[in-house]
Amino acid sequence: MTINADKPLRSYYIPEGTLYEGGKLTENLLLFGRLCRALGMDVTPLRMVEVARALEFVKLERKQDIYHTMRALMVSRQRDIALFEEAFRLFWRMPPQDGTTLDLQSLGEKRNQKKTQFLPPPDASPDDAHEAQDKPAIDPNLIAIVPTISQQEVLRFKDFAEMTGEEILASRQLIERLAWSLGERVVRRYRPGKGRHVDLRRSFRSNTRFGGEFVIMPTRTRKIKPRPLVLLCDVSGSMERYTRLLLHFVHTLANSMYQVESFVFSTKLTRITRPLRFKSIDLALREVGTTVNDWGGGTRTGDSLHDFNYHWARRVVGRGAIVLLITDGWDRGEPDELRDEMRRLQHNCHRLIWLNPLLGSAEYEPLTRGAQAMLPYVDDFLPIHNMASLEALAQHLWRVDWKR
Amino acid sequence: MFESVDSTAEALQNNHYIAERSLATTVYLALRLNKPLFLEGEAGVGKTEIAKVLAQILDTKLIRLQCYEGLDVSTALYEWNYAHQLLQLRLLEASGASRDEMESDLFTRQFLQARPLLQALEASANGNPPVLLIDEIDRADEEFEAFLLELLSDFQVTIPELGTIKAVVPPVVIVTSNRTREIHDALKRRCLYYWIDYPTFQKELAIVQMKAPDVKPMLARQITAFIQEMRRLEFFKSPGVAETIDWTAALVALDQQVLSPEIIQDTVGVILKYQDDIELLTRGGIPAILDRAKLLVERS
Repeated sequence: MTINADKPLRSYYIPEGTLYEGGKLTENLLLFGRLCRALGMDVTPLRMVEVARALEFVKLERKQDIYHTMRALMVSRQRDIALFEEAFRLFWRMPPQDGTTLDLQSLGEKRNQKKTQFLPPPDASPDDAHEAQDKPAIDPNLIAIVPTISQQEVLRFKDFAEMTGEEILASRQLIERLAWSLGERVVRRYRPGKGRHVDLRRSFRSNTRFGGEFVIMPTRTRKIKPRPLVLLCDVSGSMERYTRLLLHFVHTLANSMYQVESFVFSTKLTRITRPLRFKSIDLALREVGTTVNDWGGGTRTGDSLHDFNYHWARRVVGRGAIVLLITDGWDRGEPDELRDEMRRLQHNCHRLIWLNPLLGSAEYEPLTRGAQAMLPYVDDFLPIHNMASLEALAQHLWRVDWKR
Repeated sequence: MFESVDSTAEALQNNHYIAERSLATTVYLALRLNKPLFLEGEAGVGKTEIAKVLAQILDTKLIRLQCYEGLDVSTALYEWNYAHQLLQLRLLEASGASRDEMESDLFTRQFLQARPLLQALEASANGNPPVLLIDEIDRADEEFEAFLLELLSDFQVTIPELGTIKAVVPPVVIVTSNRTREIHDALKRRCLYYWIDYPTFQKELAIVQMKAPDVKPMLARQITAFIQEMRRLEFFKSPGVAETIDWTAALVALDQQVLSPEIIQDTVGVILKYQDDIELLTRGGIPAILDRAKLLVERS
């Protein structure tokens, strides 16, 4: 069995006796592990290393043996067997076959029916360009049935919590390339355009050249503006692993969209709109770092939202704003207070969207008291844990019917 | 009248406006420097009132522009009188005027209807500038803000068909905002800024006694103290001075001599306008707050 030494295993424990050689099998194994985890199975990267070791002991030519080896190690619940089988079949198959993405997506949907507005898990698609250039690892037969996936694909599915500094920077470029739409609103201002209201001023001017006969009737129409956006991001201890990337996300939005107000909270609420105005992310994050002084503290979502509702909502949530609340729903405060404040927040804004990094795992159920208090008052409940989920989020926001 | 800060404070006081020293200073400066005064503060702390009082003191006209979203040139500044222009057009046609004549005859000052902002610029022709109140600018949109910039820095507006109209004497401009939106720096920079806070006990008591002269002294003190104590609680909307005055009037109308928990409960709708806030007050214990208020009265 081989482990590719220069790629994703860097931070994991590698058992002794593992052979180090080039090859794609390990990477694919880890990717498969991640896919299974996304589907809700209890699969850790360490477990995948064990799978790699175990595969040393079976004949790789026999797909059935590989299947059972993997299943024995990766599935720990009866109800996951069918799902695993399908995932195995779709993932480890001959490359020239169409519809991978769709199939994998539908695989996710089976799981997610019970959730409200849950996005399909990240889709995987083989990268043809990468395929031919790598040399077979040990067994040509096995390599033949493994579609290789590009680094970018790996990045797309990598959980934000596990990203290195470089990967965060690479992800940032991906985030910047996403097209965000948070809905528009017809405002009460008019502009020239097709509509029912005659523009008297322009009519009069343009018709004087006809000697006062009203020949043409220019009209005016309502102006359309993007909705203001308010970002509330949890930076408490439980979110720590996501904070760095999410701040990149918040910074990108703050610098690319119309009227964005940003806040972070853990035990108390801090407005970071002004620090984020720096175009340079390093400068902006340094400013944010000095402004906020309760990084990684406990979570008092209720108190923070209270502060927001009482002191900021009137100033920043007017004019049909969209509120993105990014938190894992772990809360140490009073659920009753949280419920009241969520209700007030939802009433004040046009749409309240809860982005939860834990939702990336299909196993996650919003059962904590905090989550239970929040759920009834959100309009959308969406995952935010890797690039693929961000892409899906961006797409979802394009499709959303903004009336509610 | 406005020779010094002292005389400004005195003039305001004589006209039933009790101002903090800092506010009197800012008003004085605004008048001396011919700069617009930008007043921000919670609802009901007397932002609009100061414009009315200034108009009274200066014995001049108060021109008020209430802002709202979509407020545009034709409602804020001027509008051509199309009906009259049409009639004129027919007359010109009948007299066989050329097209150039038509153009120049149709767009003249006589067909222009002045809206508040233009009125304010033109009203100073007699040397007595009016007070222009641009009320609740946070309700208007950024487009309108941008459009105010020329007016507030040079006290002039440009009408494409007519040219630039400039005020002979700049009007006294008061801009108010409830801070439901951040106003752009460019606009604030052209103004003197003042944040009106809730008044102290003594100031508020003086206001109450001035606005409701027939209130019993004890009741006035209790009312003011109760409101002051209430502002220590965190309400969604704390009662402003306007609410204090309304409440005083209500209690006088109900013929009350002193405050009691029952009468507070019955009239709470005058001071608090959100159900959540009323609940908070009831939960916080009206008698307890009243006790603290009475302590405050004794101490003062």
